[in-house]
Amino acid sequence: MNILIVEDELRIAKRIERMTRDIFGSAIQSLKHLNTLHEALNYIENSKLDLVLLDLNLNGDNGFDLLTKAVSESFHTIIISAYKNQAITAFEHGVLDFVPKPFNQDRLAQAFNRATAKEKVENSKIRFLGIKKKGRTQLVPIEDIVYIKGAGVYTELFLIDGRKELHDKSLEKLEQLLSYSFERIHKSYLVKMSEIKEINVSSGSKYMAELKNGERIPIGRTKYKDIKAKWV
Amino acid sequence: MALVPDGQVFWSRTKIDILEAPETLKPYGLRLEVYGEYEVFWDGVLIGKNGNPGQEADLPPEGRLWTTFTIPAHLTNVGEHVMALRLSNYYYPDHTGNYGLKIDYYDDLLTDRLIQNSYMHVFAGAFLITAIYFLFLFIGNKKEYPALIFSISCLLFFGLTMTHFVKTTVPIHYSLHVIRLEVITSLMFGISFLIPLYFSMQFPYPKWKLILGIYTAILLFIFSIEHHLFDLTILNMTLSLLLFSLCIAVFGVYKKAKGALLVLLTLLLCIFIRHYVSLNISLFTGFSLILLNMLYLLSLRIKEQRLAYENSLVQSTRLRLELLKKNIQPHFLMNTLTSLIDWIEETPKKGVLFIEALAKEFDLLNQIENQTLIPISQEIALCRAHLEIMEYRKEVNYSWQEEDIDSEQKIPPGILHTLLENGITHSLPLKDNSIKFKLYFESSADYDCYTFLTYAEIVKQASAQRQEGTGLKYIKARLTESYHDLWELISEPAHHGWKNVIKIYR
Repeated sequence: MNILIVEDELRIAKRIERMTRDIFGSAIQSLKHLNTLHEALNYIENSKLDLVLLDLNLNGDNGFDLLTKAVSESFHTIIISAYKNQAITAFEHGVLDFVPKPFNQDRLAQAFNRATAKEKVENSKIRFLGIKKKGRTQLVPIEDIVYIKGAGVYTELFLIDGRKELHDKSLEKLEQLLSYSFERIHKSYLVKMSEIKEINVSSGSKYMAELKNGERIPIGRTKYKDIKAKWV
Repeated sequence: MALVPDGQVFWSRTKIDILEAPETLKPYGLRLEVYGEYEVFWDGVLIGKNGNPGQEADLPPEGRLWTTFTIPAHLTNVGEHVMALRLSNYYYPDHTGNYGLKIDYYDDLLTDRLIQNSYMHVFAGAFLITAIYFLFLFIGNKKEYPALIFSISCLLFFGLTMTHFVKTTVPIHYSLHVIRLEVITSLMFGISFLIPLYFSMQFPYPKWKLILGIYTAILLFIFSIEHHLFDLTILNMTLSLLLFSLCIAVFGVYKKAKGALLVLLTLLLCIFIRHYVSLNISLFTGFSLILLNMLYLLSLRIKEQRLAYENSLVQSTRLRLELLKKNIQPHFLMNTLTSLIDWIEETPKKGVLFIEALAKEFDLLNQIENQTLIPISQEIALCRAHLEIMEYRKEVNYSWQEEDIDSEQKIPPGILHTLLENGITHSLPLKDNSIKFKLYFESSADYDCYTFLTYAEIVKQASAQRQEGTGLKYIKARLTESYHDLWELISEPAHHGWKNVIKIYR
């Protein structure tokens, strides 16, 4: 695991670092602590990370820039903040968890568990996915997304207006974040359940989901029963 | 008419056509305004006597300027009549002549004046009450010069009205009449000066004192030349007053001052009135309109002051809350508690010291929270306590230095503390893991000055333009609360880190 801690309170940063080492043990490949927004943005740009632990109020700066930047990346983000009222914004932007200060090791472990156990997050609040476009971060509203297709380490977001956007998180990570309204109907597809118009069985017991926009998406053989049940 | 010096007797005859005979038992009367002591003859019959014509040099002044006589009913048939005055004019031989002659029913001549006077007295009384009321307001608040000027203007206008309508109530010998005219002209001078002064204060324009001085000089000039032509002097003063006030009002409208447009319209209305009615009527209607306007402006200002006062109360409460909030806002409290838990888990003894430091800051904050000025020593104690806490949180070696501090001096609570917080938040420690803060005090004849320096590396802000934080807003509001606009705050980067200067002018 490559982990980055962004926190300007040294004592707290040390605490997070200590607990993270305790929880992950030898699974940690690298653990970096940074003090400032500026350094953090640079580091995220140039390193391969699995998890970022982020304080939103750094040196008097509003961490919103860093938040939108972080959620558009391939890693999961966990916010550790003194401001509980930022939790909703954070979840809307698709963070994996929000740990309010003061925290203890159990709470931190619970958050980490979400990251490692690939456990689905019942996050009904998520409203955006961050995408990178022309060097900037844009937020795509979840309600505009019809389905998502895995494309290697990346994913492709298929939008209502027919556009296709690239997102840096893997399909597994998105499945975790979007489980409230999306289902993994195939190993390469994550579909918004409300967009499915019909489920068909075609010749050779191929299962297909027909979407409201007319597109047809395959349903995995193993998933069919489950999906059928949920869809009705 | 030729001059008749030394109070010698001369005759003045006036032909009068009576077009309609009086009703029975209601005799006609004759009202005269004549300089001199005289006897009145109607068709050769003596009908009245006013003083002792021809004997003025020997006898004391007798008689009055305004007199009314009855004309015997049998002498007022339709047709031509002659009124003859046998008079002498000892005091003003160059002012011979008949300044007023009116024939009407005798009863009406007397009562009309009384009725007019009673109205005018009520009118004047209103301005007297207003004058007294605003004088009291001024006494209650000595800074309210517009109220004083308005009060004096009302008083002068009251005086003007009373002197003007004195005819019926106070008998005046013709030799004293100049005094009345002098009084009227002087009152007019006062009013002509005060009204533009008032408008100048309400709608200030550049160099208004100088321009007002020039105006006063012009007014004095008008007052002094042709002084004996009282009506002309009054007319000229009124015109200059109107013109100058008009200019001020136009400037006020241009500057979008509240109420200026109404003043402008009123002044234009006055000029319009002056054009269409007699000097006397335009004088009284015009001035009452202008005074009403001044009253309206005052009420506007009083409303503004009340709002400003209410605002300042709200502001004080807000500032007090903001000071109290400092230590319970989540960023401070939750980060402190998190660090504290960590210290307690790791080294309980240090944790206890941390708690003690926290207790000290809370205690100090409690002592100052409801004050608007506190001794600088208390503020410094607060800063030191805060640094102690931050040392446990950030594990940076903070140091505090002070120079030339006069512990007697007072400053608003929490302002150095806020600068210190900003310094801590926006700084990274130097290579030796230290951040130094230094406070020094200078006092000169004009101002007291606190300089607060941060020796550290300043964090680059991600957002290009640094917004004015709530901290600086708090400091500015506190300084305004205690020193109005007699302060200056500079907060800027310096080669060693950050520099704050607070200047408080005397």
